[in-house]
Amino acid sequence: MPSRLQIAWILLTKTTFRHWRIRAGHYALLIGIVAVGVGAFNGIRQASRAASANFGLFNQAISGQSDFLIESPNQRLREKDLARLQGIAGDPDWHFVPVIEGSVTAVDPETGTNKPLRLIGLDLLSLSNLPKLSRESIQFSEDEMDWFHWIGTENEVWITRKLADDLGLEEGGNIPFLASGRTGKMKIRMILEDEQNNLPDDLLLADIPTVQNLLSRPGELNRLEVVINQTRKREDKKYLSLIGNRIQRNLPDYLSLSPTENRAADRAAMTAAFRLNLTILSLIAILVGAYLILQALDAAVVRRRGEIATLRSMGVDGGILFVTYLLEAFFLGVIGSFLGVGVGHLLAWGAVGMLADTVNALYFATSVEALTMTGVDLSVGLGLGIIFSLLAGWLPARDATQTPPAQILAKGDWSPGFSWLRKPHAGLGLLIIGGMALLFPPYEINGGSKMPAGGFVASGCWVLGSALLSGHLLVLLAGWLRPFCTGAVTRLACSRLFDGSSRHRLAVAGLVVAVSMVTGMFQMIGSFRDTIEEWFDVRFQADLYVSESGVTGAGSLNGIDPAVMEELLQDPNIKYADIMRICYAKPAEGVTVLAGVDLDHWSEKARQIWLKKPGELKAVKGAEPALVSETFARRFHVLKGGIVELQTPAGSKKISPFGIFCDYGNEFGMAAVDQEKWLSWVGVDRPVNASLYLADTSKVKETRERMRLAYPGLDVRDEQELRNVAIGIFEQTFQATHALSIIGLVVAFAGLLLGLLSIFDESNQTWQTLKHLGFSTPRFILSAGLEGGGIGLAAWVAGVIAGLAMGWLLIFVINVQSFGWTLLWTIPYGNILLFGLLLVLIGFTSGVCSATFWKMRAR
Amino acid sequence: MIGVLPFFGLILVLPLWGEWIQPPDYSTKGYLVPSPDYVPSFPQDHGAHRAYGLEWWYWVGQLKKENSAESFGFQSTVFRLAGDPKESTQTTGSSFGNRQLYLAHSALSDLNQGRYLHTERVMREGWQARADSQSMSIRVAGIYAEKFKDQPGHRLITRYPNGGRLELKLLPIKPLIRFGERGLSRKGDDPASVSWYWSYTRLKAIGKLFYEGKEIKVQGEAWMDHEISSSQLGEGLAGWDWTCMQLLDGTEVKAYRLRQDDGGSDRWSAVYWIDHEGKTEHVYADRFSWVEKKEWTSPKTGLTYPNTVQIEVEHPRRGRLVYLIEPLIENQEFYGLQADNAYWEGACRVLDGEGEVIGKAYLELAGYGGGLGARLN
Repeated sequence: MPSRLQIAWILLTKTTFRHWRIRAGHYALLIGIVAVGVGAFNGIRQASRAASANFGLFNQAISGQSDFLIESPNQRLREKDLARLQGIAGDPDWHFVPVIEGSVTAVDPETGTNKPLRLIGLDLLSLSNLPKLSRESIQFSEDEMDWFHWIGTENEVWITRKLADDLGLEEGGNIPFLASGRTGKMKIRMILEDEQNNLPDDLLLADIPTVQNLLSRPGELNRLEVVINQTRKREDKKYLSLIGNRIQRNLPDYLSLSPTENRAADRAAMTAAFRLNLTILSLIAILVGAYLILQALDAAVVRRRGEIATLRSMGVDGGILFVTYLLEAFFLGVIGSFLGVGVGHLLAWGAVGMLADTVNALYFATSVEALTMTGVDLSVGLGLGIIFSLLAGWLPARDATQTPPAQILAKGDWSPGFSWLRKPHAGLGLLIIGGMALLFPPYEINGGSKMPAGGFVASGCWVLGSALLSGHLLVLLAGWLRPFCTGAVTRLACSRLFDGSSRHRLAVAGLVVAVSMVTGMFQMIGSFRDTIEEWFDVRFQADLYVSESGVTGAGSLNGIDPAVMEELLQDPNIKYADIMRICYAKPAEGVTVLAGVDLDHWSEKARQIWLKKPGELKAVKGAEPALVSETFARRFHVLKGGIVELQTPAGSKKISPFGIFCDYGNEFGMAAVDQEKWLSWVGVDRPVNASLYLADTSKVKETRERMRLAYPGLDVRDEQELRNVAIGIFEQTFQATHALSIIGLVVAFAGLLLGLLSIFDESNQTWQTLKHLGFSTPRFILSAGLEGGGIGLAAWVAGVIAGLAMGWLLIFVINVQSFGWTLLWTIPYGNILLFGLLLVLIGFTSGVCSATFWKMRAR
Repeated sequence: MIGVLPFFGLILVLPLWGEWIQPPDYSTKGYLVPSPDYVPSFPQDHGAHRAYGLEWWYWVGQLKKENSAESFGFQSTVFRLAGDPKESTQTTGSSFGNRQLYLAHSALSDLNQGRYLHTERVMREGWQARADSQSMSIRVAGIYAEKFKDQPGHRLITRYPNGGRLELKLLPIKPLIRFGERGLSRKGDDPASVSWYWSYTRLKAIGKLFYEGKEIKVQGEAWMDHEISSSQLGEGLAGWDWTCMQLLDGTEVKAYRLRQDDGGSDRWSAVYWIDHEGKTEHVYADRFSWVEKKEWTSPKTGLTYPNTVQIEVEHPRRGRLVYLIEPLIENQEFYGLQADNAYWEGACRVLDGEGEVIGKAYLELAGYGGGLGARLN
């Protein structure tokens, strides 16, 4: 006697796979949908890892993996700091690797196009001491004995073959560049042969003094990396801790030693919110994919109802049928997920550059690493695909088991459907749970970032709750519209919607999920954009803005050569210059930004969007008065004043806010102190930008052109140009969000098509009856179109309501908790209305298309 | 390390077998060449001579743990190579200079456990490597040497792998010896192959060794060389075998052969004797033989070193003398960053013709991996 599983297997191979063969295209589409869902998730996962994993230690491609980092709080070291480390630097158990890094913009003199590049400075001569170099031996010169010709040169760099090819240059060629507000030329000393393709394509390598010269940063370094000599002991935690303790004992107080992996963790924490948002968005693709599987399997159950009834009559019990349908879902999941992992890798290729741009613009310097697909990626992709497929298959499988042979053979139409969709309890329950989740405080991630866990739970609950309740809205809407329906076709469509079958409700619910997400995103992006526009209107009142040329992101800051800045300020038309200097500073956890500004100007003349006007808070005595950003105030809990202790190169310093301004520059927060104090704390004078107020404002254009001509290494912009650049960065940031929203929406519409097919299948007997009564095919198709349009309309109304709640959540909960800033909530009514029209139109078209297809198939 | 012809203070002038070859003022690369009859001035000449192409400070010795039979050998060497001769004399003050290059070689032989620790670092002049020009004040990677201000002698600190460190106070027992005819030590027929070669042949060593997590009080005797040149090896020379012996009778012997590419010994190879007062006597290659008695092949580099040797020499006054030099442990191979530059340098004992132990020695066998001549020419 075969077991139940064996019987299920026989049924699967004899009946289910037969259906697959007959409708190969349909199932191929279904597998494709699973693949796209899994692929979107996995692709984003791989791409965001490749885009942000290489968190700025570009030198390690040359010098090999380092074990510790020695850094100052502002991530800038001076050569005189090195002198204090002489006693331990020569210890044979480790190697100290000083690193200076910055960005330069290579300029193509013929086309005028710019190419951003990473300039890394290492002590090229001492590199030969490193374990990696003694194994692999990178040649920096044809003749090692002429070392004094190739170290410490003025402008010679080493580049990869690929970069040389990109630039169309060979050894000895010159690369014109912009950096630190200056222009210059680098000479290619040698092309590094990188057979294993380990070196980033945008890497320029040079000796430390050369980089200091090219970036106009004499005597400066970024950090010291520590490489242990016995690399085979790298996994020995006890040994590493011993080495760490020996170094730590001899470090000056203001320098910190941390394992390199901590930096990876810090950087991972910095981008945690960004990556989490992406993950959640990409999960939507899987969710919608699962919804489609549910739709498709449900349709299969409906189509095979007769077959199921026959099997039941032959004694096959519900349990076996349940397992059979679940197995079908499982196979769909397995095949789709396998394909999805591959699709994901392809999608990652497309997305990685986009994400790397965003990470560069918002967080820190990164370059794209080789995309890798790990065992974990494979497992996560397969796991998610299969689990979601099984979950999606659960309800149709349950439906199949409830098919009683007598009724189905007696009646044409029969469907218990998803009766729970008819009850509002679950939906209302979810709305309440979502509301309660908002009471939870955000979850603190290592490094000072926060994850609004309650906000995410609430958004999930509210979207699902709205989806579950959307069927009721469909019925309600149909009821309202019914009196206006006079013709047979409209009345038919309306009454079918008014009946509110569980399949109609399911179709609406699926669309509601996608619509609410898209509407929510519309609002967030729109609100963000409007807020930034508003911020610009208030904050940027100067006539001209000067910054380092080619720099567009947080990861590229070199600062402007102070000599260049001083020269520029001699311009006779400058009445006042608001110069800003910034550096990183270390709070107790993570990192924040410390700015040096003219506080009087900021408090009294420069306009800000104030959360607390200067003077509204009283700076604590004994601490340095500061104006802080909203993000800073929220992060360090000083919205009502107080003290924050920051590590600076001059030791631990206390600052106390006397005003809070709105700022959307970064999510780590910024505290601005008096510029003289800043200089005494930081010691490195590198202005990052200047806002220029002109004496004769009628000569803005003329002054701008004059400055541009005199300082080609600087970007001199007026307010409108600066606004365009900021909006450009903004658009870049939301590229991934847009892409994922579109994927979600496309999949949702595919779902609508499948859902409508299922509905028509289920109503087969009704159509036959109507046909006999003289209902023509065009009228049937028109009625189906109206039915589709009605579903679209209901989904839009319910989706917009849920979407508005989502928008509120994103702006007032998720953004505030994740990034610490409040946005102005603007609802893009026009877009939402257009979206609604589009949805009704697409719903109508979907109805027409599916009815036509259904008719063709019926023939 | 290598030197030719004794001449310093109360030096006994001996018949000269090699003829005088006048060195040029500058080497072919443009560095100053050590000039004859130079009278060094100290402490300045303990410091770096930046205008000359090549210079090294070299310490070896054998130490005993206080009240114990445990003994150790050590070698600390700092090499200086000048950069562009047009600029090498000036310091830039930069942390990453390009005018001088330094190498540090440190080795510790645990003669009881048969262990050998060694490390090499190459550094440009700057924050990790510097040598003062006015006195002995050297810090290159893990080696630090500083002349005492208020007494003769100097301090030497050397770091070893696994947290090891040797801190020694080195006090001269004998005056500084200046080797060579008219103050020049010749290394080949090339006129520029000469050096100023100054040595403390017997230094009292007292200090502490931090080893395997323990602090060990040590004392013993050390040898120090300071050599300045601009073209160390003559044409056709592949390397050298060199030894310094500190005999139980209170005298020292330095001997070396300059090996030619064809395996023969260069005529400038020599043996020197330093008596109790620091007077020296010497003979050249035609008066001694360097007989390889036993070889050892390195499992690490595969190089074979003749590390047991017998020197049979005709002393100008005492007739035939035999010195058998045997390593105290076999594996004392120093392999650094480049395998072809590996050498054997180790603590040895010295036996006479009758097999009696008559002293301690350090033996250096260089150039067995090839590539050395090109570096030092």
